[in-house]
Parts: sequence; C-alpha cells; structure tokens
Amino acid sequence: MAQLGESVAKVAPPETLALKRGSTATQNLRVTLRSGFHVNSDKPKDEFLIPLKLTWTGPLQVQKVVYPKPEEVKVGNDMLNVLTGSFEIQTHFLAPAQATAGVSLMEGKLHYQACDNQSCKRPATLSVQLPVSIQ
Amino acid sequence: MRKLKTGILLLLSTACIFYSCSNGSSEKTEAASTTSTARKPAPDFTLKDSNGAQVKLSDYRGKVVLLNFWATWCGPCKIEIPWFIDFQQQYKDKGFEVLGVAMDDDGWTSVKPYIAERKVNYRVLLGDDSVATLFGGIDSLPTTFVIDRSGAIDKVHVGLIGKDDYLKEIQGLLAENKATHNRQPYRTMPALFAVGSTR
Repeated sequence: MAQLGESVAKVAPPETLALKRGSTATQNLRVTLRSGFHVNSDKPKDEFLIPLKLTWTGPLQVQKVVYPKPEEVKVGNDMLNVLTGSFEIQTHFLAPAQATAGVSLMEGKLHYQACDNQSCKRPATLSVQLPVSIQ
Repeated sequence: MRKLKTGILLLLSTACIFYSCSNGSSEKTEAASTTSTARKPAPDFTLKDSNGAQVKLSDYRGKVVLLNFWATWCGPCKIEIPWFIDFQQQYKDKGFEVLGVAMDDDGWTSVKPYIAERKVNYRVLLGDDSVATLFGGIDSLPTTFVIDRSGAIDKVHVGLIGKDDYLKEIQGLLAENKATHNRQPYRTMPALFAVGSTR
C-alpha cells in the first residue's frame, strides 16, 4: 500500500564498491531515521510485526546481510526489538569468478515499518543503488 | 423615521441575543467535542468483512460509529483494541458500533488469526487504498473517526489517545438527540448560526 508524506528512513548514497572476480567485499549501508521514530529489527519478537529487510539484485552474490543489534523498548505490555537514530546494515558480497568485468549497479530494496510512541507509518520500501566495479 | 429606528434597534437586539446564545452554546460544547454544526459527512464506502459480507458505512446511519483504521503490525493499535472490545460490549445495545478497517497488505492472512486470537467482538473490514484516500490518505495508524448518528464526523484521532477520551466522546454522541439526526442528516446550518459557532 502506498505511503504518504516524507519517508521516515533515509539511506546515504553508497560509494562504489570495488572487488576482483572471485573475491568478497563488505558494504555498510547507513540508514538514518527521523527523530522520534523506530523501526522493527530484522527479528521482531511479535509474529505480526514487519521485520527490517534489505535485499539486493545485480551482478554480485549476497553471502549474508548483518543487521545491527536492536534495542528493547516497551510498548504497552510488549517488549519490542527496534532500531532508532542512525545505524548500519552490512552486506557481504561475492563477485562470481565468471562475472563480467566493468562498472555496474546493485539494486537494493530496504523494506521497513516505522512507528513513534503514538502511531505507526505504513510499511515502506526504499530503493538504493550501489555502484560496483568488478575487476 | 421613529418606526425605522425602532425596527433597526429590534433587529440589532434580536441579532445580539441570537449571536450571544449560539456563541455561548458553542463555547460550552467545544470543551468536550466539536459542535454539530462543524461536522462534515463521512465519506461512504463498501468493504468486505471477515465473512465475505459487503458492508456499507451508510448502513450504520442512526448509530454512533467508531471507525478505526488499524493493522496487525501496529503496536499502538494493539493497545486500543481491548478498549474497543469493551466499548462494543458496553454500548452495542445503546446505538453504538465499532467498525475496524484493517490496512494489512497481506489481507485476511494476518487479520483473521489476529482478530480470532484477541477475540475481537466488533466487525472488522479489509481496507484498501481507495478507502484510505477517501479519508485523507491514512498516513498513520491508528487513525480513528468518531461518527455521529447522522453519519457526520465529530472527531478524528491520529495516533493513540486515552481510553477515557474515547469514552467521553461516545457517551456525548449517544446523548445527542437521536430524532434530530435521523430527521435531518447532512443538513446545512443557517449562516447566522454558523457565525455564532465559529471557533
């Protein structure tokens, strides 16, 4: 469903990631939330909550995505695992041995759901472009 | 000339009395709720409930309705739901209904187990973007509209408010003259009265 208004989360445009065919590299995606808001972690405690999720498509293989350690906050009677302020999501990439050398893009999608103490924004997805240079 | 002066004085005094009466009334009601004259009709819609039945908001004309936009992933909504269950139980037979509109993207997949688990005793409908647009977009949840018996919106609450605040609003609307609302829904108030009730 569409989300109105200004996005609660913003990502800093990533710098070019350079790596050789057959090698691995790590990219840190910096995410900053609007003041007063939190997003669910990648592993929220409640099954109905929407987890933070970063996915990539492009010439590199994703080995793993490492999310920051969440903080616990109490909302009503529930303890929630959330992220606030500014944080980094780390992605470990592998350039396949048969990858074509040159400059291309990894397309990222950051899916999140944000709330403040009184209300929640509807789930949203941010698009990220990561320039990659494969040698 | 004397007749003209008398006429003007009579007109002015009548206007002053009417103005001060309606102004006073407005101040009194504003402390608890928006005045009836300031209310606007709620947009009508048709949505399906969990049994697949088509439900129109206008079917509820004659009742006070608490129209709550919510979602299973919304923490503050989860806090309100037990209150709404209480309201439904307490005021259902007095001309009141809670209507939940779930805005979950995955539809009944999440909503049905959620409302079953929490034993929700009021009707829940599955919302969509077109209904959200009718009500101003619904950027945040919960968003709750308190609607009077004529189908006009008395209050809009974006975000979590207190249970007692809802209770006062519901009781206030239930106490209003039922016959008046049924007889003249969506009426336009005379201009002079509108001046008196301006905030």
